[in-house]
Amino acid sequence: MTDDLAAVARLSGVSKRLGGRAVLDGLDLGIRAGEVTALLGPNGAGKTTSVALLTGRLAPDAGTAQLFGLDPRRPAARRRLGVMLQSAGLPDVLTIRELVALHSGYYPDPRPLDEVMMLAGIADLADRRCGALSGGQARRVQYALAICGRADLLVLDEPTAAMDRGSARTLWGTVRALADDGAAVLLTSHDLAEADALADRVLVMDAGRIVADDTPAALRARAGGSVIRCRTALEPAVAALLPAAREAVMEGADLRILTGDAAGTVAALLVADPALSALRIADATLEDAIATLLAPAQERIAA
Amino acid sequence: MTALALPTGVWRREALTEVKRSLRLPQFLLPTVLTPAGFYGLFTLALPHDPAPGFAAATLAGYGVFAATGPALFGFGAGVAVEREQGLIELKRVSPMPAGAYVGAKLAAAVTTTALALVLIDALSIVAGVRLAPATWALLTLLHLASAIPFALIGFGMGMRMSAKGAVAVANALFLGCSVLGGLWIPSRLLPGWMQMIGAWTPSYHLGQLARVIVGADTIGSPWMHAAAIIAMTVAGAAWAWTGWRRSPA
Repeated sequence: MTDDLAAVARLSGVSKRLGGRAVLDGLDLGIRAGEVTALLGPNGAGKTTSVALLTGRLAPDAGTAQLFGLDPRRPAARRRLGVMLQSAGLPDVLTIRELVALHSGYYPDPRPLDEVMMLAGIADLADRRCGALSGGQARRVQYALAICGRADLLVLDEPTAAMDRGSARTLWGTVRALADDGAAVLLTSHDLAEADALADRVLVMDAGRIVADDTPAALRARAGGSVIRCRTALEPAVAALLPAAREAVMEGADLRILTGDAAGTVAALLVADPALSALRIADATLEDAIATLLAPAQERIAA
Repeated sequence: MTALALPTGVWRREALTEVKRSLRLPQFLLPTVLTPAGFYGLFTLALPHDPAPGFAAATLAGYGVFAATGPALFGFGAGVAVEREQGLIELKRVSPMPAGAYVGAKLAAAVTTTALALVLIDALSIVAGVRLAPATWALLTLLHLASAIPFALIGFGMGMRMSAKGAVAVANALFLGCSVLGGLWIPSRLLPGWMQMIGAWTPSYHLGQLARVIVGADTIGSPWMHAAAIIAMTVAGAAWAWTGWRRSPA
């Protein structure tokens, strides 16, 4: 990560043990201004812990966490940070306007209240108490709290979980605009379509390490053109030798083959195992690319 | 990169918001305000026939401390644990709000609730014939309001460590236990020796004795010793609260 000198937030050589388990082990990670960075990976990969370290809720056991050059646990560092956490709640007897105004007051140069409400799509809910919101509405209020202070770094943890598709698209639009204005955005998501639509850069984590750092397009290209799935008696090691096949992995009961030429591979596959069933062919997605990166080493047979 | 200055008024706005919140929770407010007045009225005015004003004043000293204990233990102890489980502390923690503003706001809410309870108790004591000099009223009220502080710190430390259910149970036990053993309901000199001995370890006992000094009732030991004990307990409470805030991963 040579270009991380420009990072507004970074973890350098960070190790963290939680509950007797090494969650992070020497992790290096930097978030740059003007970019949406998606942090992806399976549960337990260390995404939540990394976000907790960057937002000052945890301290590293070894290495350093920095936010704008300061320790994230100092409130002064967080005056340039806006956070939307999945695990955070809202105080139910305050109205939305009262809550957003209170949080705006924590920042030196907050956005005007009406603008925040409009950007987050909650202008019509301003006088509603937080306890009377649906799940999707509560997420939009959390988003308002993240953007109310004109933060230079936005951390969005599963921002559109519980949101309908329309609200999610509106949110993506405002996040994109904020990043184009120069904000750094760190996004965690289980929705890979969301990461693909929004991110300039994808960091894939596994077992406390970054296993890939690239653009979504480059990751998709790495996965090849198409994905073939079928039920077959063929061993992955054998399937990987089929024409144009780049990789073959077991995925549950299915064999999944990445290929640059679906027709050529399928033709050879049908010759090799005429009894195969449940054959499906699809374009490789970001999800396929990441599944490939994360497949356990013993199951991965690169061609 | 430069650190940005703390905007002005953060502590004040946080405190005002917290007071507003607690006034919007009548299910919490009413019991903590009415219980001390109810007990004071029952034991001081209703039970003894024709209570002597000196008796009512001495009892007022203890019940005022009792009135401060409830909001502090429940608002902080149980309240903070509930807010932690709801993710509200996490919301504050990732914001640029300084931790002290949260504690200060909670304390403001506990003191406001205590003030409401004191208005009722003080009014009942006047009905019972208690007459004190204005300076004595002022000093007594100040001590009663300040009584919330050590309990609030103990409660805060509990709230950061315990589950909501656990914190409510412990807050109840401390609320009743400290009040009985500390001699807030029945004067300490009338309690059996073992209860007095345990009671000396509660903030309630020392605060109650100081309040009795102010109203001119009989006391045990020197006021300076009680003042020193309460300062020591407050400092220990602050350390307990601070380490609780630091250790909680929420």
